[in-house]
Amino acid sequence: MAVCIAVIAKENYPLYIRSVPVQNELKFHYTVHTSLDVVEEKISAVGKAMADQRELYLGLLYPTEDYKVYGYVTNSKVKFVIVADSSNTSLRDNEIRSMFRKLHNSFTDVMCNPFYNPGDTIQSKAFDSMVSAMMVQAS
Amino acid sequence: MSIPDYMQCAEDHQTVLVVVQPVGIVPEDEFFRIYKRITSVAQVSIRDSQRNLYIRYRHHYLPENNEWGDFQTHRKVVGLISVTTCGSAKEWPQTSDRFHCQKDVFGATLYDSRLLVFGLQGEIAEQQRTDVAFYPSYDDCPDVEKRVEDFVESIFIVLESKRLDRATDKSGDKIPLLCVPFEKKDFVGLDTDSRHYKKRCQGRMRKHVGDLCLQAGMLQDALVHYHMAVELLRSVNDFLWLGAALEGLCSASVIFHYPGGTAGKASGREPSLAHGQGQAADAGKRHRPGALTANGISADTSSEIGRAKNCLGPEDIIEKYKEAISYYGKYKNAGVIELEACVKAVRVLAIQKRAMEASEFLQNAVYINLGQLSEEEKIQRYSILSELYHLIGFHRKSAFFKRVAAMQCVAPTIPEPGWRACYKLLLETLSGYSLCLDPKDFSKGSHRGWAAVQVRLLHELVYASRRMGNPGLSVRHLSFLLQTMLDLLSDQEKKEVTQSLENYTSKCPGGMEVLTLPDGLKLPPVPLSKLPIVRSVKLLDLPVSLRPHKQKGLLENNMSSKSPFIYSPIIMHTRGEERTKKIEFRWVQGDVCEVQLMVYNPMPFELRVEHMGLLTSGVEFEALPAALSLPAESGLYPVTLVGVPRTAGNINISGYHTSVFGVTSDCLLDGLPSVRTSGCVVEVIPSLPRLQLSTSLPRSAHPLRPSKEELSSSVSVQLFNGETQQLTITLENIGSEDLETLEVTSKTCNTKEKLFGEFLSWDLEEAVSQLPLKPGQSVTLTVNVKVRLDFSGGENLLQDLNDDGISVTGLPISSPLRQVLKPRAETKPLGSESSKTDYNHVKTLEAVMTFKYSGGAGKMEGYYRDLSLGVHVDVEPSVFFTRVSTLPATRTRQCHLLLDVFNSTEHELMVSANNNQDLVLHPSECQRMAIQVAKFDFHTLPQPDQEAVRYTNPKLLEEERLHAQASMISSTLGSLSVSLSLSLSLCSSSLDVVVNGKPCDCDIIADCKVGDAVPLEVKLTNRSKNAVGPFALTVVPFQDYQNGVQNYDLQDAVTFIGSNTFYIDMVKPTENSACMGALLFLYTGDFYLNIKFQDDSAGQGKELPPSWFGLPSVHIKALEAPIEAGA
Repeated sequence: MAVCIAVIAKENYPLYIRSVPVQNELKFHYTVHTSLDVVEEKISAVGKAMADQRELYLGLLYPTEDYKVYGYVTNSKVKFVIVADSSNTSLRDNEIRSMFRKLHNSFTDVMCNPFYNPGDTIQSKAFDSMVSAMMVQAS
Repeated sequence: MSIPDYMQCAEDHQTVLVVVQPVGIVPEDEFFRIYKRITSVAQVSIRDSQRNLYIRYRHHYLPENNEWGDFQTHRKVVGLISVTTCGSAKEWPQTSDRFHCQKDVFGATLYDSRLLVFGLQGEIAEQQRTDVAFYPSYDDCPDVEKRVEDFVESIFIVLESKRLDRATDKSGDKIPLLCVPFEKKDFVGLDTDSRHYKKRCQGRMRKHVGDLCLQAGMLQDALVHYHMAVELLRSVNDFLWLGAALEGLCSASVIFHYPGGTAGKASGREPSLAHGQGQAADAGKRHRPGALTANGISADTSSEIGRAKNCLGPEDIIEKYKEAISYYGKYKNAGVIELEACVKAVRVLAIQKRAMEASEFLQNAVYINLGQLSEEEKIQRYSILSELYHLIGFHRKSAFFKRVAAMQCVAPTIPEPGWRACYKLLLETLSGYSLCLDPKDFSKGSHRGWAAVQVRLLHELVYASRRMGNPGLSVRHLSFLLQTMLDLLSDQEKKEVTQSLENYTSKCPGGMEVLTLPDGLKLPPVPLSKLPIVRSVKLLDLPVSLRPHKQKGLLENNMSSKSPFIYSPIIMHTRGEERTKKIEFRWVQGDVCEVQLMVYNPMPFELRVEHMGLLTSGVEFEALPAALSLPAESGLYPVTLVGVPRTAGNINISGYHTSVFGVTSDCLLDGLPSVRTSGCVVEVIPSLPRLQLSTSLPRSAHPLRPSKEELSSSVSVQLFNGETQQLTITLENIGSEDLETLEVTSKTCNTKEKLFGEFLSWDLEEAVSQLPLKPGQSVTLTVNVKVRLDFSGGENLLQDLNDDGISVTGLPISSPLRQVLKPRAETKPLGSESSKTDYNHVKTLEAVMTFKYSGGAGKMEGYYRDLSLGVHVDVEPSVFFTRVSTLPATRTRQCHLLLDVFNSTEHELMVSANNNQDLVLHPSECQRMAIQVAKFDFHTLPQPDQEAVRYTNPKLLEEERLHAQASMISSTLGSLSVSLSLSLSLCSSSLDVVVNGKPCDCDIIADCKVGDAVPLEVKLTNRSKNAVGPFALTVVPFQDYQNGVQNYDLQDAVTFIGSNTFYIDMVKPTENSACMGALLFLYTGDFYLNIKFQDDSAGQGKELPPSWFGLPSVHIKALEAPIEAGA
């Protein structure tokens, strides 16, 4: 399960970020922020080849000592980043994929809300609860 | 070997290492000057061959690292250049000793060494020595480069010999085992004769030869040797050396593929590149001659093919690097080697633009544990990581590591934290976090960046700059934080930030100047345009009384300049010009002008803004700053900023100035797209005088009803109808210019009431004579306020007239005695309550007096000012006439005006007409009064009736109030019917009867004597506009017995001499015609003459009514003729 989930706008600023150990949120900000380098690199590398049918899931962006960072980019260049604990070896690629898919669906719902301005931070309760469900339960 | 050289790159493998060191006391700057000159010789072309030798200079090298020289020969110090100062020959031996000591440090590996001695002259300097060069001073050493080149050549000779020595050493001789320092103890007691051992020795030697070949400029040979070494070492699982061989292979391939080098220009570790020779070296690298064969002969085609085969492709290079690093990774002690290999690989990948793979190498490098690192080494490591990430385009990672490095600079474990370095490093991270310290970039709004990390970074910058001892920078950064991140800060943070900002500004107030850092970075000023937020800027017109107006005639050319068309459907201005749009109104030089800003305070606490003023351009402007305090989270709040333009011209309100939390900021409107404004350019006209108006009457509490135009002041007064009041107006020049012209006009406001006479009248002559009016002087003007209104309904009056029993026309009431004032018909409810209230209501009368004045420079330009005074009068009804009628008086030229006077006031009052007795009227009393008035010539008085009958108006004395003589009342006369006016006027034609030479009228009794002929002249004067006549006129005498009996039978008493009938021909307008006759009275007595008129024109003999002519009745008294003496 994830320890941090972030949604990043096309212009690379966070629309939503939530992490489980709340007291050290800034660390995750840095982790997610730096992961954008890799995301951009991956997009630009793939983008040249086949812009249309590219895989949205970017896979493992980079591993750190404690965490693994996974990325996902929608066609509108909104990025999802999931940070998972490295110690959680049971987490498989497929599970990550399905998490991203869920995240994407929920994000689509948020965008469908006529009262949501694209580019604003996400404050949807439904989105929030969905993210909470994917997070590691804070003990 | 513990300290990695992060600057290493793949092509360093082909260089030879030369250490340049000072010996004894050498001034640092002098040393580095010489060092720089030495390092310019980075590449030497060897004379006989086409090979190049590349030299890497170090002024500091750990001998410890030198021990790894066998492993990778470019790590081996092969040359030493010592720089020393030697003042005298006496010191020379000592210096020489020191040089030798130094030589011993690297002694084992040195091929050659040189000593450069500066300052020594004399005997010792004369001797020619190869290893020592003498120069008189640091400035006088022209052949240093030459010396270095010679030195490099000598190194090459040694290198070449060693290479050949090792390369040809293929015989069965025992090959020594080369090993790295930490291996030495491992091989103790190993079987040196085993095949395995031999192979290991061979492989290592082969690798070593490869290194030497590479250094000696024989790339092709090096590749061959490396390949062989890889095979040999792989077979014996000698992983460390296998890694080295693989890395050598990679290096050689990289050198082949990327002759431009992989270090990048940014590293700047080769200062020689800047020099001419450096460029030549660069060129040499690119056009690498085919000096690759062993004997230095240019390669043929076969060797080209061979090279291509041996050389690794770009993909392979990375693969081999990976392999090499994985082998290095097996050895804990080879961490530095591994790290350096990673760095080298990353540089290669950066050139190949394969950022992802490079990041993997870097990720690996992060985890390489080099044991205990000093803080400085950590900083260096993080910095280099940051630099490498930057190289591969990972700016965020780069910024992250740079920030880590910055934090390391001030780690609590460091006794002397390097805040300056920390700050510098933090500044370098800005771009990685998409932060630009220019607030202008933020106002665009599209890019928002990663707020959390940006805020953090700004906080760190603030802290670092404060610890650096530069509060000015802290203030600037904090202002920036407040300005750009305001929306993202929580209330608590806002409070904290502003508090610390106030703390800092108490030491160093923030301003608008550009701060320049020592390294040239400029910090642009941060105007705090969000504290408070300005929503709109509106320039205000001057108050009504001060508004300048342009003289009419001058206005047109202003209009025509815009467009040649009178009307055009095309709107000329575009939306973008709105800001620069000129505003309709004008400001006046020297007058206080206002601009209204709508501001609000976004902070959760009260915001104190000080010195808020306007920023202008175009005109000299004296801004009068204001201080304001905005409550927390205030809504839109209007703030008026004022200032005085000191010169004329077009003024542009370009922005405003504030001082918040000790930070002064100039906010320009151009940079604030959210501000709404209806134009910021306004014309300032030259100064005009200013008048202040004061009146003798109290100011009006309620404004005038038609408030379409604003009034500067207004007065109100309460008057009885018909009353006159004097209003004294004092005009004081309170401006600084002379008042030169003054015009006064008045306008009665649209009242439905019919107003008689002039409401306001004045005489301006006296006031004008005092002009020009100097500043401070004043002039007074007296205005008469007269009110005359109709308080009775006009229809009522007419009805009354018709009902009247007295026939106005044609009833010849000759005697005033008859005119008994019959009481009014009781059917008319005049005195009843209902109608009383009708008459009682108060009417208002309003007028605006306009004072148009001008003077000074503004007058030259054709401007003037208006000052308007509203006059509000409540008119109470006084007396009025409920009924008017006339009665002919006894004289034909006079008549009686009958007036029913009604007192509608609550006071007793006295009415007096001219030469009439006073009539006392009680409240709500109605009485009739008769006034004898002369008839007037209707035609010669073309003015309205009121004018003519003014004198008939009774004077009204109001007893209780004021005891003042009230004005004349002409109120009801406006509605006189036509017939009434006829009877009041003279007849259209008049007859004058002259008896006995005296004109006769009703009450004049002509005397004559019995027996005498009395001449009678009848004169007809035509006053109408048409010709009249002809008429027949018959004079009939009669006697009135005063009892209703008239005796016409007087044939024996009166006789006519001649005819008693006269004929008058047609009389033209304004002409007259006279007939003469004579009467002879036979008896004494009172006789009357009745004159009858007949229209004779058509012979009809119709009698005309006497009222047409106002026929006088002639009264003649015949007296006894005096006895004459002769009779």
